[in-house]
Amino acid sequence: MRSTLSGLIDTDLATFLESPVMIILGTGEEGMPEIGRGLGAAVQEDGTALQVIVSAWQWPGTVANARMNGRIAATFARPADYVTYQVKGRVDLVAPPTPALRACAMRYATRISAALAELGLAPERTAPWRSDRDLVALRIRPEQVFVQTPGPRAGSLVAERRG
Amino acid sequence: MTLSLAALDACFEGVVPSILCTLAADGTPNVSYLSHVTRLGEAQVALSNQFFSKTAANLRANARAALLVVDPTDSAQYRLDILYRSSLQDGPTFGRMAADLRATSAQLGMDSVMRLRAAAVFDVLSVQHVRGGRAEAAPGRTPGQALARALAVTGALTRATELAGVVDAVLDALAAAFGHEASLVLLHDPGRGCLLALGSRGYGTSGIGAEVPLGEGLIGLAAQECRVLRVGDASRLRRYGAAIRASSEHEARTRSVALPHLPAAMSQVAVPMEVQGHLRGVLFLESTRRMAFDAEDAIALSLVARQLGMAIALAEAEAAEASVASPKDAAPRATERRIGVVHHAQDDSVFIERAYLVKGVPGRLLMWMLDAYRVEGRVDFTNREIRADAALRLPELKDNLETRLLLLQRRLEEKQAPIRLLRPGGGRIQLEVQGHLAVSSKASSG
Repeated sequence: MRSTLSGLIDTDLATFLESPVMIILGTGEEGMPEIGRGLGAAVQEDGTALQVIVSAWQWPGTVANARMNGRIAATFARPADYVTYQVKGRVDLVAPPTPALRACAMRYATRISAALAELGLAPERTAPWRSDRDLVALRIRPEQVFVQTPGPRAGSLVAERRG
Repeated sequence: MTLSLAALDACFEGVVPSILCTLAADGTPNVSYLSHVTRLGEAQVALSNQFFSKTAANLRANARAALLVVDPTDSAQYRLDILYRSSLQDGPTFGRMAADLRATSAQLGMDSVMRLRAAAVFDVLSVQHVRGGRAEAAPGRTPGQALARALAVTGALTRATELAGVVDAVLDALAAAFGHEASLVLLHDPGRGCLLALGSRGYGTSGIGAEVPLGEGLIGLAAQECRVLRVGDASRLRRYGAAIRASSEHEARTRSVALPHLPAAMSQVAVPMEVQGHLRGVLFLESTRRMAFDAEDAIALSLVARQLGMAIALAEAEAAEASVASPKDAAPRATERRIGVVHHAQDDSVFIERAYLVKGVPGRLLMWMLDAYRVEGRVDFTNREIRADAALRLPELKDNLETRLLLLQRRLEEKQAPIRLLRPGGGRIQLEVQGHLAVSSKASSG
């Protein structure tokens, strides 16, 4: 268990990002926005980087944009209560997942499938949203974190990298 | 390949949240969930603009956006390239979206949060299927089935005569035709600004006499807005609005009947009944199946509700009028059992043997009959004399006496009270008191 993190992502946020939450990704290139889904996330030990695993087969545009300019927004939403955070930053590495990250993606797939099943969505109904073909890991250097849970604080900045 | 937008209608049911991505002037993306996307014809969509200000600012800088929608029947995902055109603050499309959003947010207990400020209209430039396959679609429906079901239900309605028969016929025929688990018929009570449950099927308790304030929940909203409201995936609603236990203790404490509720409901549809331009009530169906009611069912149920509203109005208007109460033959002899009846003048609530029975007009009606029974020993009444009696001070009774009598009759039956109402026909009402009345009136609560 992490004690404290020196980066933008604190311990509580890291725990949330790595929990079974829906992960959606926004990227763009030459003014054309693109959407993708993440298959699990892992916060680097010191909190300075966030790895998000993506199927390059299902979301080729997202992976191409991440390679091209690195600008990314990743929104993490817990389906049971809509607690939502958006992390904005830059992808500085696109690489095949390490065995540990691959295991993280598989664990995530099992857990998010169970979390959605608990809400009444049978696993076979949500399977089309989480292909595991041609997985790649996007290493994101977070620059800003926003809370987006519906409510009065929605959209407010909770952390920003200085300098 | 670009697909037709019309083929994606199921995606716009608001079941699986859509995803919107926009870009800031410097290219920084913003990605968020969106609760409502509506199709406008063949080439446009409207998005509920409860966006965060970031999205709005991005669209001013760069009108291109990406939209991901999901078909809830087979979980297929579609990627739309869209171009921001304009913002709507009124008009029929805006009105429909605002009502849908109110329905969803009220169910989520977030009505103060999710008020529609504007709808954003976008041109759809292309539609593409996202790789990843589809889930096996739920057992398909044959188009046109809904109309045949509506015909079966209205057929049953045409055979019913008096009010009780109309309510029972529609509930039974609906269950047979639509195969849902539970349903309710509620009638509008303009005097109290609420809807009153008059009949139900499929719940543990009947809930007859339960009140739903206008504007509250899916039923109250459908009534207030006079539009059909549907929920296709209520799974996320289950944690909200903890079920109120229907118990005698709860009834006595609150002087109200709890609205019955299907614990595992996944789909709900509330359909307003309108007659001669006035809200007459609401028809409500629930199912444990996901997406149990589609857009076609909503249309079919609207036809049923209209027919039901007219049948109820007709049953009220044509309730046979007896001018003279015929003497009752072979009345069961009153036993010496003491029946404690307490009337609270404040809200006309009536308790029998400490159990809450009814309040309001049905309560006043019962007390009026019990007074005549105590003073003159009368057990036979006619609807004509009730309508004419000035002592009841009920001008509104003219139009819905039968409804009130039916409510009173069914509540007495449900509580297995030692007082019963019988309807021997021909506009007659017969009171049966199985004991010795001990009536007390209380001016104030307590």
